[in-house]
Amino acid sequence: MKVRKSLAAILAAVLVPAAAAAQQEIKVGGIFDLTGVTSDVGKPFAQGVQDCVAVTNDAGGINGKKIKLLGADYAYKIDQARALYKKLVNDDKVVLIQGWGTGDTEALKDFVGQDKIPYFSGSFAAPLSDPAKFPYNFFVAPTYSEQLRSWLDWVKQDYAKSGGKGKAKVGFMFGDNAYGKAPIAAGKKYAAEIGVDVVDEAVLPPNFQDATSQLLTMKQKGVEYAYINVTTTGVSLVLRDAKKLGLSVKFGSNPYGFSESLVAVAGPLAEGVTGVVPHVPYGTPVPGMKMLEAAHQKYHPTDKHDALYVRGWAHCLVWTEGLRGAEKAGQLNGPGVKAAIEKLSDFSTGGLSQSVTYTPTDHRPTMTTSIYQIQGGKLVKIGDYIMPRTKDWFGL
Amino acid sequence: MEFFLQLLLNGIVVGSIYSLVGLGFVVIYKSTSVLNFAQGEFLVLGAYVCLTLTVQHQVPFVWAFLLTLAFSALLGILTERLILRPMIGEPVISLIMVTLGLSSLLKAIIQGIWGTELRPFPDIFPAQPVQLGPLPVSQGYLYSLLGVAVLLVLFSLFFKFTRSGVAMRATAFSQQVSLSMGISVKRIFALAWSIAAVVSAIGGVLLAGVRGGLDGAMAFFGLKVIPVVILGGLDSIAGAIVGGPIMGILENLAGGYLDPLVGGGAKEVAPFFVLVLILSFKPYGLFGKIKIERV
Amino acid sequence: MRCGDFRQTYAEDMSLFESPLPRVLLTALLVFLLVLPQFATTYWLDVLNRICIAIIGAVGLNVVTGYTGLISLGTAAFLAVGGFATAAMAGKAGLPFVIVIPLSGLLTAMVGLVFGIPSLRLKGLYLAVATLAAHYIVEFSVTHWDSVTGGVNGISIPPAHFAGLSLSDDRKMFYLVFPVTVGLLFFAKNLFRTKVGKAFVAIRDQDISAEVMGVNVFRYKLLSFAVSSFIVGVAGSLLAYQARIISPENFPITLAIDYLGMVIIGGLGSILGSIFGAIFITLLPEMLRLATDALGAHWPGLMVIVAPIKMGVFGLVVILFLIFEPDGMAARWNHIKAYWKLYPFSY
Repeated sequence: MKVRKSLAAILAAVLVPAAAAAQQEIKVGGIFDLTGVTSDVGKPFAQGVQDCVAVTNDAGGINGKKIKLLGADYAYKIDQARALYKKLVNDDKVVLIQGWGTGDTEALKDFVGQDKIPYFSGSFAAPLSDPAKFPYNFFVAPTYSEQLRSWLDWVKQDYAKSGGKGKAKVGFMFGDNAYGKAPIAAGKKYAAEIGVDVVDEAVLPPNFQDATSQLLTMKQKGVEYAYINVTTTGVSLVLRDAKKLGLSVKFGSNPYGFSESLVAVAGPLAEGVTGVVPHVPYGTPVPGMKMLEAAHQKYHPTDKHDALYVRGWAHCLVWTEGLRGAEKAGQLNGPGVKAAIEKLSDFSTGGLSQSVTYTPTDHRPTMTTSIYQIQGGKLVKIGDYIMPRTKDWFGL
Repeated sequence: MEFFLQLLLNGIVVGSIYSLVGLGFVVIYKSTSVLNFAQGEFLVLGAYVCLTLTVQHQVPFVWAFLLTLAFSALLGILTERLILRPMIGEPVISLIMVTLGLSSLLKAIIQGIWGTELRPFPDIFPAQPVQLGPLPVSQGYLYSLLGVAVLLVLFSLFFKFTRSGVAMRATAFSQQVSLSMGISVKRIFALAWSIAAVVSAIGGVLLAGVRGGLDGAMAFFGLKVIPVVILGGLDSIAGAIVGGPIMGILENLAGGYLDPLVGGGAKEVAPFFVLVLILSFKPYGLFGKIKIERV
Repeated sequence: MRCGDFRQTYAEDMSLFESPLPRVLLTALLVFLLVLPQFATTYWLDVLNRICIAIIGAVGLNVVTGYTGLISLGTAAFLAVGGFATAAMAGKAGLPFVIVIPLSGLLTAMVGLVFGIPSLRLKGLYLAVATLAAHYIVEFSVTHWDSVTGGVNGISIPPAHFAGLSLSDDRKMFYLVFPVTVGLLFFAKNLFRTKVGKAFVAIRDQDISAEVMGVNVFRYKLLSFAVSSFIVGVAGSLLAYQARIISPENFPITLAIDYLGMVIIGGLGSILGSIFGAIFITLLPEMLRLATDALGAHWPGLMVIVAPIKMGVFGLVVILFLIFEPDGMAARWNHIKAYWKLYPFSY
């Protein structure tokens, strides 16, 4: 009996401070792609999240509690993401997860709902924004579908402006994966509604080196505008082959294909390409950028940054705000954080992205899509396209 | 018709890079009976070295290119000495696996040094395409076509007339016999690996120039070339040269005519279908040497 | 302590256990593993299940590659066939797992038979590349056959169920995965005591001699592919049940390479080797990840740098094993056992 008591005392002595210390920190999970096929865009994103956490902690954390980011690489493999997720939720007991790709986020969405863990993804696939189906999924950008719709609006305008007759002929080029195909159905539907002709759909296989056959088909079908829904490397390859074939197609791309690095890689070929930019390019003079520049000076003054790094920051800023709300309400758990995020109304990320609003019935953060164009090697904003927050398009 | 011709032409020029990289496979296989699954990494490593020299150290491109070749030759020799030589006499599957292990290791080294982000590659070819009649062709591919032609001649002469070339052929025929004839098989192996690494590096630089950017994903190219060399016959230089354009044309025709029908992806898989078909009639590829087995 | 070979009859030579001791130890190990889940955390249960599934897959690959000498790069494809068959049968048709798992295995066996046909004419590397072709053909099919496989978005699988029992978490799942693993291990171990198994080995050692001795090489090569794919298909089925959602991205060519790594590091043509290899290759990334987590607390930048190290260590380990222990971990294990049996008179 005595032994047991003293053992208990020792245990208590060992465990209690640990528990007390644990209470002072908030565990957040991170599922990043640092080595997989999307690591070209996944790494700067992860770096953005990490820096934002570090800066938040240096500034006192969440009302005095430090954030502990338990991040790891899953190499864009769904099974690894699943394993990591299990560990983060069941063993580490995180209150929130910052995830990444479309494939893995879609794979985890049912579990996220069951385990009641708010899950921010780098994927902006539209179904994830429907809380009736996936109440715990969040992201900080217009959905892929809204982005494509906005781009189609721009196409219509541009076509009218440049004196085109009849309907503009549009082609979609996309990767053979969940991310690539995410907005295509919505895009086709919307194109039909606004009177733009989708004449060709071309699949770009993973790690393709040559898109000539796809582009030739486009040429044959008379495509005038094409949306390239792959990451930067792929976009630059398409641009190169298009130049070779002498195509006069006007290209557009998505947030993971269109950033500063496209200019760096494609050089003059990128001139005139349009793209969706939900998170401003690094160095854009907005109030929020100061924080990023300070972090850049402090942690890695030699690194180069782009809009992907800003994207990581924007996501982190939104969920730290959610954590703050939940902490204040004394509800630092999955449902508490979710409730706090759903109270965010017109929350500003300091101009890093559009202001975001979440409600318990609608997780579409914003309906405004900024379209940029590469002019003289710089990303120049050419307009904000605002989509109506209609019920019909919800989750589509 | 122009559509068809353009696909055909593109198949041939893209196939020329396949041939170029395929040559690396064949040279190694011919003399050492190893299929090198790390060829793709050799390619990327060569391109990165060249990139670093030109961009960070401001070495003129021609010199950087030559230095890259020297580096690759060294890399080939080192690989052979450290990894492949202890494996002499091991079964085929162990040899496959050791090159797969090497590929992981090199990939890690590449990522550790250069990261995974896409790096712009200096414009070594003008982006302006050359017109062949009505059909435009990238200059990069033309250079690779030229490279293949030059290498074909060089290799043919090398294998026919030089001492080392003859020794390599002898080693390929029988290692034991060549040893007893006084040929240093070790030297031949090292030579084969360095030639293969050099050829890969040339392919890597060309490919990076054509793509305009460089990242680790380019290593995937190594895997893509394997069906090419199998199609042509693993031990046949001519096989690699013919196999490349055949695969390139197959890919492009499948991409142009089948992809729109099946919703994409045919471009990648059709060559494999044809490969299996051809192999079931010619089990050692189109030009591969038929192995006569004795018990 | 027994130190030497005391087998005197053919029956003894064929026996699975030399002495009662291993039998007792094995039973103890099995019992230990059966109660283990009660104490393990979810993460470790997940790892444990994945190890078991990897063991099944590795044994399957070992049948065709290690025992019959036919190099296969198609493991990931066969896993995919098993997995998607399970998704279709359990998800769409709602069948219980006792039917789904064997049927998935059989279906995979049939696919394996088809892709085994080139082995009749092709040898060595040419055959390896033919199986690589099989991989890409299967990958293409599962990516584009949307109505059955869910295409690129993948497909979810309900928890394995049977007669009111629903295996909804990893702990319950373990009690399905583990018995299947043990059962298949005994099946495989016994297979190589039979005529069929001996025929496989004869083909591996020299197919022409085997044919001369009266082994129908044509039949047995196909049979080997079928048996192997059946086992791999079962692994794929369990994998689907455990992951609960699968998509074509779950089965990349690198997965097939990992399995080849397991079989080779463990030991070609050794059931014990498959077990060691599967444990090793599955645990390696987990261990590295744990190490990263532990160190990462002190050095946050580590995560980015360590990511490639994981890959490098895998490559290095494979290379070092092949150079210094070409017969695999199983051979090393036997050396160690022999050393201690003869201790202190080992030479």
